[in-house]
Amino acid sequence: MAPTPPGSSSAAPQGVKSATVQQPLTLVMTIKSDNDYQALSALLTKIQSAPPEQNPIWKALTILNNVHFARFVFLEQNTKLAVITTYDGTFEDYINEFIDAIGDVFNALLAHMKDGPQLPVQQNRDQFLNYVRSNDLRAIEPFYSAYPKATVLDIKAALGQ
Amino acid sequence: MPELPLEDVQGFVLRPYGRPALRVFLLRVESAPSAGRFLRSLVGGDASVPQLTSAAPWVTKPNFCINVGFTYAGLAALKLHPQTLASFPAEFVAGAVNRAARVGDVDESAPEHWKGGLADASRIHTLLFVFAQSDAILDNVSADLRTLFGKCPAFSEVSVQDGRALPGSVAHFGYRDGLSQPTVEGGPRPSVAEVLPTAPAGEFLLGYPSQYDSFTYPVPQPRELGHNGTFLAFRILAQNCAAFEKFLVSAATQTGLDPELIAAKLCGRWRSGVPLALSPQSADSFLPLEQYNAFDYAPTSELPNANDDRRGYRCPIGSHVRRMNPRHSLVAGNSGLKRRIMRRGLTYGPPYDPMNPDDGIERGLLGLFIGVSLKDQFEFLMSDWANKATFAPGLRDTRDPINGDNSGPGATFLIPVEGQPPLELVGLSRFVTCRGAAYCFLPGITALKYVAGVAGKG
Repeated sequence: MAPTPPGSSSAAPQGVKSATVQQPLTLVMTIKSDNDYQALSALLTKIQSAPPEQNPIWKALTILNNVHFARFVFLEQNTKLAVITTYDGTFEDYINEFIDAIGDVFNALLAHMKDGPQLPVQQNRDQFLNYVRSNDLRAIEPFYSAYPKATVLDIKAALGQ
Repeated sequence: MPELPLEDVQGFVLRPYGRPALRVFLLRVESAPSAGRFLRSLVGGDASVPQLTSAAPWVTKPNFCINVGFTYAGLAALKLHPQTLASFPAEFVAGAVNRAARVGDVDESAPEHWKGGLADASRIHTLLFVFAQSDAILDNVSADLRTLFGKCPAFSEVSVQDGRALPGSVAHFGYRDGLSQPTVEGGPRPSVAEVLPTAPAGEFLLGYPSQYDSFTYPVPQPRELGHNGTFLAFRILAQNCAAFEKFLVSAATQTGLDPELIAAKLCGRWRSGVPLALSPQSADSFLPLEQYNAFDYAPTSELPNANDDRRGYRCPIGSHVRRMNPRHSLVAGNSGLKRRIMRRGLTYGPPYDPMNPDDGIERGLLGLFIGVSLKDQFEFLMSDWANKATFAPGLRDTRDPINGDNSGPGATFLIPVEGQPPLELVGLSRFVTCRGAAYCFLPGITALKYVAGVAGKG
């Protein structure tokens, strides 16, 4: 498998590349059918309405300590699901940790996606990485950050956490 | 705990040999059939021929140990099937030359400056490692091996790299070395006990569940070839002792701290090996050796009374041993325990003489870094933890003060101080320069017979 620079598959026009330690992830996944949308909607509602300590997404992102923000959005008349995050460093370098923390959530989501990778993602790690790469729209550069050098861990430490 | 077939694993993967002499033959395949016969002889059981050392327990320590590794070019030269070659991971196929920039081997560490023929990866096929109890034994075994691989000839020598232990188990910057090694499930126990969780076998051997959830690293095919194998990064790392000592003095002047405390802050251990986490004020000479690894940077179930050093007031977060093995420190990805490597190898060159600092003699470390994934272990350590600052809090844009690339202007090291801004040491340089590197596949014993068989058919 030839290494692909992150974002190289993106269709977004590229301006001046930003030198932030934070990186944008704009993962847009195509949902198989309306029934799949209904199932996804119910699943995400259930997960996101749980208190943080019982929300597997919340718990995973807290453990990872390299994701600043994350949100899920249905797009294009509920035919697509976007995961929009800002994270530190190189996604590929932390793919194994990401899968270990949140793989089961993605197993549940990806079962409803068109052209999804083979599941479970824990046993198909390269395929999952390739799927994310090829469905990540990233951003039209530059990616703006008010604090381009600060990581999640820097900010939490500065806040005394 | 699963039983590991120790007799099928190359010895140095799982056990340190503790031998004071090391010779690494960098070999080029001259004839695949002859090479196959030579390799077969290493595992043929004929006591009159030097034999490869497995990880099986020994009753008496042998006088010498032999191991072997192959580069990607070497496996091709030994005529392995294209499908087999295609089953190896991309970073191994690319090799150390092509992956140099990723691990910080740039500028004076770049491959074009490498020695021993390592700059031309197409010529380096096989690395033969000989560990010996004395120089005389090393020379005898070398002579035997040269006779054997020189037949026909099977291999030619591109170069030979020799390592010799320094008195007191120290490396050239004067630190006691090799203290912390992972304990592998099913493998021998380390000589200095660990308090960290035991590593799953698949973190160090192909074919077993890895450190990641429900994941076994892909085994090169056929399974007979890949199973019980692993990977090794061989590195010739020159150490600039004069520059390092000069920096200690300069940093002491900058801060008013003792040069030995500066040395301890840079490394995370005093030069005696005593960790700052246990003895932040002095190189406590009363700490028994078996406790030199009994520390962490946060309280854990194994060490509930460990000091919570999340800000690095005892041991700087950017210090060498804390970067290379963050233990239970807070790090990005929660990956502090998943990137471990087995460190073998030995120093080379004579001891540094402070009275003759610019003697023009190269000295350093022949580093052997072993793990099931070069990319996720060795390369990650160098790219993310040694040469970046995003994995842990408060590092700004610093790099590992000892093995990081600090050749750029303004290279800094931070010493956190409670209640104050960190002390900023300036004037670092690249104290360790890579003088050569190669990525090797270390087959198991069954697999070596397989390689020998394929090569033997030519």
